[in-house]
Amino acid sequence: MGPIDGLIYGFGIALQPTNLFACFVGVLIGTVVGILPGIGPVGAMALLLPSTFAMQPATAIIMLAGIYYGAMYGGSTTSILVNVPGEAASVVTALDGYQMTKRGRAGAALAVAGVGSFVAGTVGVVGIVLAASWLADQALRFGPPEYFAMAAAGLMLLSRLSGGSVMHGLLMVAIGLALGTVGMEPISAVRRFTFGSTQLSQGIELVPVIMGLFGVAEVLLIAESGIRRAHIQSVKLRELMPTRAEWRRSAAPIARGSVVGFVTGLVPGPATVLATFISYALERRVSKHPEEFGKGAIEGVAGPEAANNGATAGAMVPLLSLGIPFSPATAILLGALVISGIQPGPLLISQRPEVFWGVVASMYVGNAILLILNLPLVGVFVSVLRLPQHVLATLVLLLCLVGAFSLNNSQLDLWVLVVFGIFGYGLRKLAIDPSPLVVALVLGPIMEKTLRQALFMERGDVLSLVGRPLTATLLGLGLLALVGPPLTRLLRGRRHRPLETAR
Amino acid sequence: MIERVLALALLAASGVYVANAWMLPMGTAARPGAGSYPLAVGVFGGIVALAWVVLALRRAPAAPDLESADVLPAQPWDAAAGRRVAITAGLLIAFCWLLPLAGYPIAAFLFVALLLRGLNAGWAPAALIALLTAAVSHYAFGTLLGVPLPAGALFG
Repeated sequence: MGPIDGLIYGFGIALQPTNLFACFVGVLIGTVVGILPGIGPVGAMALLLPSTFAMQPATAIIMLAGIYYGAMYGGSTTSILVNVPGEAASVVTALDGYQMTKRGRAGAALAVAGVGSFVAGTVGVVGIVLAASWLADQALRFGPPEYFAMAAAGLMLLSRLSGGSVMHGLLMVAIGLALGTVGMEPISAVRRFTFGSTQLSQGIELVPVIMGLFGVAEVLLIAESGIRRAHIQSVKLRELMPTRAEWRRSAAPIARGSVVGFVTGLVPGPATVLATFISYALERRVSKHPEEFGKGAIEGVAGPEAANNGATAGAMVPLLSLGIPFSPATAILLGALVISGIQPGPLLISQRPEVFWGVVASMYVGNAILLILNLPLVGVFVSVLRLPQHVLATLVLLLCLVGAFSLNNSQLDLWVLVVFGIFGYGLRKLAIDPSPLVVALVLGPIMEKTLRQALFMERGDVLSLVGRPLTATLLGLGLLALVGPPLTRLLRGRRHRPLETAR
Repeated sequence: MIERVLALALLAASGVYVANAWMLPMGTAARPGAGSYPLAVGVFGGIVALAWVVLALRRAPAAPDLESADVLPAQPWDAAAGRRVAITAGLLIAFCWLLPLAGYPIAAFLFVALLLRGLNAGWAPAALIALLTAAVSHYAFGTLLGVPLPAGALFG
């Protein structure tokens, strides 16, 4: 099936009433969690994962993916109107978006953010179709050594790019990999690190870990900061139309942001957040009026808003074409696919076309729904912030507890949720990003399986394993990402030292 | 201080992990056993944790007055904020402990009521919201979604 035929087939799947409804529910929940500080898209996806067990695989992924990109729309709304970014990918939008609100241009900022996100979503769909199809074709030639190298390089890159120091990133990776080894070993059925517990033999579930790190930890931070009431700016429908000059100034940043976002999304790391910062810096650099940035420049809203949506599309490429997730959100999508009995990987396009093409087309449909929903109903969405925060935080916690229990009706999952919630809170206090832990927990078993297969293939010869061209390139790139920057600093320091001594 | 404690705890944890991995079958290079990969992960984690401990300890004398709470706290300690976090974390642990004993409706009611109260809501609204939440969530999850929520050992 070619890309055009595939997309037409995908629209047929995405527009089926059940899938359309799932897409609507997903983007609606995504918008609300994007608005609310506290539970982000990852926590919400983890929370709703158990509710998708009874759904068809395509329907489940369509709904969960809707939450992921829907949150980008919701996050921008509160950034612009109340200077409260609902999630990290909207922090940059607040810089100029809120300044525009103070100058009475809130409507224009919201409209440009909405249209920018929609355009980026469209570019993203085209990007996924082209990149994922090509990558899946290439990946058919990959063997276990290449898969191992891809996962290892991804983790090395993630350690470098996630917030905080590389050492913290590597430590999170080590914890995630170690957690991935708990339970029954799949080849020889040996129990590892179970300490006699039969429940631990099943391994540590991903969902309560994510709910804890991203849901419970956030609520603990809300509890710490106390109850705040946001001052909510009202926006009238007729104020939503940007002027012709504002449209003209936004067009190029939206185009650039879409591409920057998609490309950033392909790279392991906090893509949606990184993309907004890269886009903002780029727009300020190419702008004829860089002094306006931070004071309400519409380019500072248009570029980053397109970028964070583009990044969500880019992040889907490694998942859909290789079956390898590089972010916590795509790790949940992988979990949903596995639970549905689907083995994600390069054969997904040919063996389960309804999932691949249905999800890709649904992202376009979802972006259209978001554009239609968000602009006229912006006032309704923002009023969610009027809900008392302490009641909301309590309800989120109770939902996390029941959600974790309902996974396997197991007490162990509850304890995992609470332990990782408190651990996640401690990590936030130390400014350590827990994303590498989650991704390593998912990639760990894949890495072990492929490493053992690769060593078996190469008869235990590690050198010939790492000597394969693609394996060497990927591992080399990963190592370069890890040691490159400190090595450069060291060399620069040595070069400058003689000069300083001479002075 | 927190950083040093956490770094040391993780170093100790990686030691325990490596010791447990060591007891698993190792296999050969061509046919690695169940313990070979965890051993590699444990050694990797131990090296990173050791590096963190060294850095955390070396950083300490450079800024003693910023990190030591009795000289000059890095951030003023907000006792009320700490109390709210402790109440929330404590109630989460209490819920896990109470659920199999008292059952879902009672555990959920107490969790919501005490947490709302801990977050400065009045007793009456806290109790009312808790009652509604426990009833609605029990019906939604237990009856509609068919989750076998524990009835509680105390009630058979």
